[in-house]
Amino acid sequence: MIKRLTFLLWMVAISCQEPIDYSLLSENVNTVAVEAVLTNESIPQRVKLTLPYQRQNGLPIPATGALISITDGSSLYLLTEKIAGSGEYFSQPFPAVSGRDYRLQIEYRGLTFDAIDRSVGVEPLPDIRYQSADDLNFELTFNPSGDQANYIVHQINWRHTPQCQANSFCEGLLVYYDLKTIDANEVFRPEKETFLFPINTVVIRKKHSVSEGYRKYLRAILSETEWRGGAFDVEPANAPTNLTSGAIGYFAVTSVLSDTIRVQE
Amino acid sequence: MEVGVPHSWIRCLLLCVLGSFSFATYAQDGLSQKVTFQIVDQTLKETLRQLENTAGVRFSYNPKKLPLEKKISIQAANETIEQVLKKIIQQVPLQYTYIEGQFVLQPVPETSSAGQKKSTLSGYVKDRSTGEAMIGATIYLPLIGQGAVANSFGFYSLTVDTGIYEVQYSFIGYKNEVTQIDLATSKSQNVYLQETSPLLQPVIIRAGVSDLPEVPQTGNISVQPEAIQERPSLLGETDVIKSLESVPGVKSHSDGSTFYYVRGGQRDQNLILVDDAPIYNPAHLLGLFSSIIPDAINDMTLYKGDMPASLGGRISSVLDIRTKKGNDQHFQWWGSVGLVSNKIGVEGPIKKNKSSFLVSTRFSRLKWLAQLGNQDIDQFRFTDFTGKLNVDINQSNRIFFSLTSGSDNYFAGNAGIRWSNLASTLRWNHLFSDKLFANTTASVSGYRYELFTDRSTNTRWNSQIANLQLKSDLTYFKNPRNEISGGLGVFGYFFDPGNIRSDQNVSTVPVLSIRNSSELVMYGNHQVNVSERWSLTYGLRFTHWANVGEAFEFDFDETGNVIDTLRYQSGERYIQFLNAEPRFTASYAPSAQSSVKFSYTRTVQNMHQIINTTSPFTSLEVWLPSSQNIKPQIANQWVVGYYHSLVATGIDLSAEGFYKILDNQIEYEDHAETLLNPLVERELRFGQGKAYGVEFLAKKETGRLRGWLGYSYARAKRTFDGVNGGREFNAFFDRPHQVNTMLTYDVSHRWTLGVNWNYVSGAPFSSPVSFYQFNGLEVPLYGQRNNDRLPDYHRMDVSALFKLNKSQEKKFQHTLSLSIYNFYARKNPVFINFNQTEGEDGIFRIPSNLLNAQRTTSQLYLFQWVPSLSYHFKWR
Repeated sequence: MIKRLTFLLWMVAISCQEPIDYSLLSENVNTVAVEAVLTNESIPQRVKLTLPYQRQNGLPIPATGALISITDGSSLYLLTEKIAGSGEYFSQPFPAVSGRDYRLQIEYRGLTFDAIDRSVGVEPLPDIRYQSADDLNFELTFNPSGDQANYIVHQINWRHTPQCQANSFCEGLLVYYDLKTIDANEVFRPEKETFLFPINTVVIRKKHSVSEGYRKYLRAILSETEWRGGAFDVEPANAPTNLTSGAIGYFAVTSVLSDTIRVQE
Repeated sequence: MEVGVPHSWIRCLLLCVLGSFSFATYAQDGLSQKVTFQIVDQTLKETLRQLENTAGVRFSYNPKKLPLEKKISIQAANETIEQVLKKIIQQVPLQYTYIEGQFVLQPVPETSSAGQKKSTLSGYVKDRSTGEAMIGATIYLPLIGQGAVANSFGFYSLTVDTGIYEVQYSFIGYKNEVTQIDLATSKSQNVYLQETSPLLQPVIIRAGVSDLPEVPQTGNISVQPEAIQERPSLLGETDVIKSLESVPGVKSHSDGSTFYYVRGGQRDQNLILVDDAPIYNPAHLLGLFSSIIPDAINDMTLYKGDMPASLGGRISSVLDIRTKKGNDQHFQWWGSVGLVSNKIGVEGPIKKNKSSFLVSTRFSRLKWLAQLGNQDIDQFRFTDFTGKLNVDINQSNRIFFSLTSGSDNYFAGNAGIRWSNLASTLRWNHLFSDKLFANTTASVSGYRYELFTDRSTNTRWNSQIANLQLKSDLTYFKNPRNEISGGLGVFGYFFDPGNIRSDQNVSTVPVLSIRNSSELVMYGNHQVNVSERWSLTYGLRFTHWANVGEAFEFDFDETGNVIDTLRYQSGERYIQFLNAEPRFTASYAPSAQSSVKFSYTRTVQNMHQIINTTSPFTSLEVWLPSSQNIKPQIANQWVVGYYHSLVATGIDLSAEGFYKILDNQIEYEDHAETLLNPLVERELRFGQGKAYGVEFLAKKETGRLRGWLGYSYARAKRTFDGVNGGREFNAFFDRPHQVNTMLTYDVSHRWTLGVNWNYVSGAPFSSPVSFYQFNGLEVPLYGQRNNDRLPDYHRMDVSALFKLNKSQEKKFQHTLSLSIYNFYARKNPVFINFNQTEGEDGIFRIPSNLLNAQRTTSQLYLFQWVPSLSYHFKWR
C-alpha cells in the first residue's frame, strides 16, 4: 500500500530529487548520545556512548572513560569498556527481567546521566515471510504482527553460500518497526531499498517488545529517518529521551523472542 | 472676450462682500475684483480657466466632485468676481470659499439644502450580455459630486435632493453608461453595462475598493476571473487560489500547494467563502490544483485583515468568492480541454430577465497517465461541480440557490484516499424599501476525508467537519454619505477529529469524541463620509461560541496527565466564549488622487486545524473547536496606508504597513501524535505570534500593457513555552522579501501575452546541526527551530493566448492558450532530505541494510519548465 500511494503522489507531481552539497550549520553541540537496549537474554548487556558528529555518514566519536552502572534495585551491574576507546560498555551476563524497573547511571566528564525503563512482555514471532524476487534472490516481506508495539531485527547472512563472492558484502541488518500508530508521515513514507539475498541464507530474527516511552522515542526517530522525505513530513524536532542532564538517545529495556530460519525455495 | 482688471481698490471692497459667505474671516481681495467677462455655452472647466486668465485669480477644486463638463453662459460687464460667481452658481450648484488667495470650489453639501425634499435612486447594475451583477460598479452624480458603489449583489442606492441629474455608471472594462434622470420622486433604475472590445478592455485585475480615496477600507484586493484565465497557469489549469500568490502580503506555501499565509497568519486562519458557505479544503491532487472552477466565478475579493464586520470566523483573511448567477439574457455554453482536465458549463435564462441557471463541471483525465506507472491504480480522478439557480421574483425579491462540490478519489489495490467538499447556499435578497436592502442566507457546507487501509472491509480513517448557518444582513443606504449595515447569524458546527470506521469490528481502536458547537453572531457597521476629506468606518462583531454535548473532553494537569474525563449530555452547553471584535478605519484624502488610511481590526477564531506537518500538500485534516483546553485564537491588526493615483498614466500606487499580534496560537509538542489520539489536546502548545511589514504595489489597469509590480517586506515570529526552549523563532511563513510582477500585453485583437515573475525569500526550516546513531539509524540532532532557510524561491511563467476567431462578433468564440510554467527552469526545492540514498536508477530511497547504509543530502523540487496547451471555447 505504501509504495503504491507514494508512487501515486509523486508521479503526478513531476517531481525531481537530486543530491546537493549542503553544509550543516555550525552549532556547538555539547552532549552525549546513549544507545542502550537491554534484553531479557542472559547475555552481556551493552551500552554505547558516542558524541554527535557533524558530517553525514560520519563515524560516531566514542565517548570513553565513562563510569556506567545498571541496577534493578537489588542487583548492581557495572559495565566496562571492553575495547578501550570503543565507547562500547558491557556488563557481565544477566537478563533484564520483564516488568522490573532498571536504572542506568552514567558518569561522564563530570556529569551524571540517569534513565529508567521497564520492559513489557513480547508477543510471539509471526511466521517469516519472504518471496522470490528473481531467479536467484529472495526478499523479505513484512506485515504487522500482534497487538503490541514491537520491532523485529533481522540479521541476514549468506557468507556460507556459493552465491557469496569474494570481497562482496554478504550480510545485512534489517529492522521492521510495527509501532501500532497511525501517522500520516508513516503512511506516506518514502520507498525503501529492496534487499535481496540468495537461497540458503540464514536469517536470525529478534522480536523486541517496546515500552510506551520507548515507543514514543522510536516513533520520533523514525519520523526523522525512515519516515522523512514522504509527502507528509512532520515538523523536524529532536526525539524525546528518558535520559537526564541533556543526554540524547534512549535507555530501553525490552523482552526478546528470537528464531533462526534458513531460506528455502 | 473683453477684460478689465481694476487693481487699485481691491482691498477696500473686501469687507463689503464678505457677509453673504460662510468663510467671512478670510481675506477678500479676489471677491471685490471687477471684471468684464462674457462666455457663451462653454463648459464650466473652460469658464473657470478663462476667468483665471482674465481676472488673475486662482480656483482650486476637485475635478471629480464638480460637473466640469456642464455648459454655461455668463455675461458680466465690470462686475465683481463675487457677482460672476453668483451667476455661475445659478447654473451650477456649487459653493466657494476664498482661502489664502484662491477660490476653493465645492459641490453644495447636503446640509446646505436641508429641508429640501429627498429622492432615492436605486437599482441593480448588470452586465448587458449576461445579466451578471456588476459587483463594485460605480454610480456617480457629477452635479453634486456624490456617488455609490454597487454591493455584492450589484445593488446600489443613492438618496439625494430632488432634481434632474446626470448619472454615470461605470465599471472597469465596461463602457460608461450616462443617463439623465429626473428625481422628482424616488426611482428604481436597473442599468446594463456593455463590455468593451478586448483591446479596450484593459482592466482585468482591479483594485479593491480600499484603493479608492473615498472608501475607508484597507488591505483588500479583488481579482476578476478573466484575469486568472489570462495568466500563465500550471498544466493549463487556471487556478483561483494560486492566483493569490501574486498579491503582496500573501505567501504561497510552495509549488504544488494551495496553502497560503496572509500577513503572518497560519494557513487555517484563512476563510474561503463561496457564496457565503465555507470551503475547508480547496485542493485537488493534494494541492496541485484548486477545486473552484474559475469560469463559474463572478467576483473574488481577498480581505487581508480589515474585513467588514459581517465577515469573520478566521483571524487572518477572508477570501469572498461570488459565483455567477447564470446568464439571464441568452443561452451560452463554454468549456475547455487541457492536459489535466476537461470542463464544460452551460447557462441561460429560464425566463429572460427574470430567472437563470448555471451548471458547470470539471473532470480530470489522468487515470490513463497514472496507470502507465501502476496498473493497480483503479481510481485516479477529481471532479468539480458548480450549479446556480437565480429567480427575480420582482424588483424587491430575488432568490438564489448555489451548489459547489468537489471530490478526489485515488485508489490502488486495497488502499486509497478520497476527500470531498460540499457548499450550498440558499439566498434571499429583499428590498424593504429603495434604501433598505436585506440579504438572508441559509447555507450548509462540509468536508470529509477518508484514508482507506483495507477496501475489502471498508476500513478507513475518516474525519469530517460540517456546518450549517443562517444569517441575515440589513443595509440601510441613508444617503451617499452614510451606509449602515447590521446582521445576525446562527451557526452550527460538527467536528469529527478522525475515527476508524470499518465493516469489521474495530473495538480496540481508540475513539475520539465528536464535537458539536453553536455560534451566535451579531454585527453592525457604519460607513460615513464625515467631510469632503474624512471618511470613517467602524463596526463591531459579537460572537458567542458554545460547545454542545454529547461529548467528552479531558482535563489535564500541568504535566499533561489526565486528571478528569468530563462527559456532557446531549444538548448540554458546556463551554462558552463571548468575544467582541471591533473594527475601525479612518480615511483622509488630501487630494482627489490620494488618501491616507488607518485601520484597526480585532478578529477571533474558534475552530482550529490540528496538524503537525510541514507538507505542502493537503493531508489528513483534523479540525477541533475551542474547548476546555483550546482557547480562541485572537488577532489584533493595525494598518496604515497611503494610496495615490497618477491620473495621467493610469498607475495606482499603494503602500501599507501593518503590525499584527496573534494570541493563543497553536504549536505542537515535538513529534505530536495528532491522528487517532483522544488526548491530542495534550500535545498542543499555546503561545504568541507577531507579524509586521510593509507592502508596496504599483498597478496599471488600463491600456494594452497592464499589470502590477508589488514588493513586500514582512516578518512573522512565534513564541511558545516548551517549543524551541521558549525562545522566539521564525515561523515557517517568515519569508521577508517578496516581489511580484504580473504583466499582460495585448499585441493585437487576437494575441495576448502574459508574464509573471514571483520572488520570495526562502522558507525557514530546521536543519540538523549534527547526527548520532541508534539501532543503525542516523538520527539528526537539531539546534534552534527553523535555524536555516531553503534557497530563495523565484519563478517566471509566460503565456500566449490566441483567439482563433478573426471576428469577435461570432457566436462561437474559441482560444488557444499556451503556458510555460517556470520558464527558466528554476529548481525551487520543497524539501531537503538527509536520509536517503540514490539508486542506480536515479531514484532516492531509504536504505534497507543498516550495516552499510550510505545516505545523501538531497533536494526535492516539483516543477521545472512545464509547458501546456489548452483550448477554450464559448458559444453564445
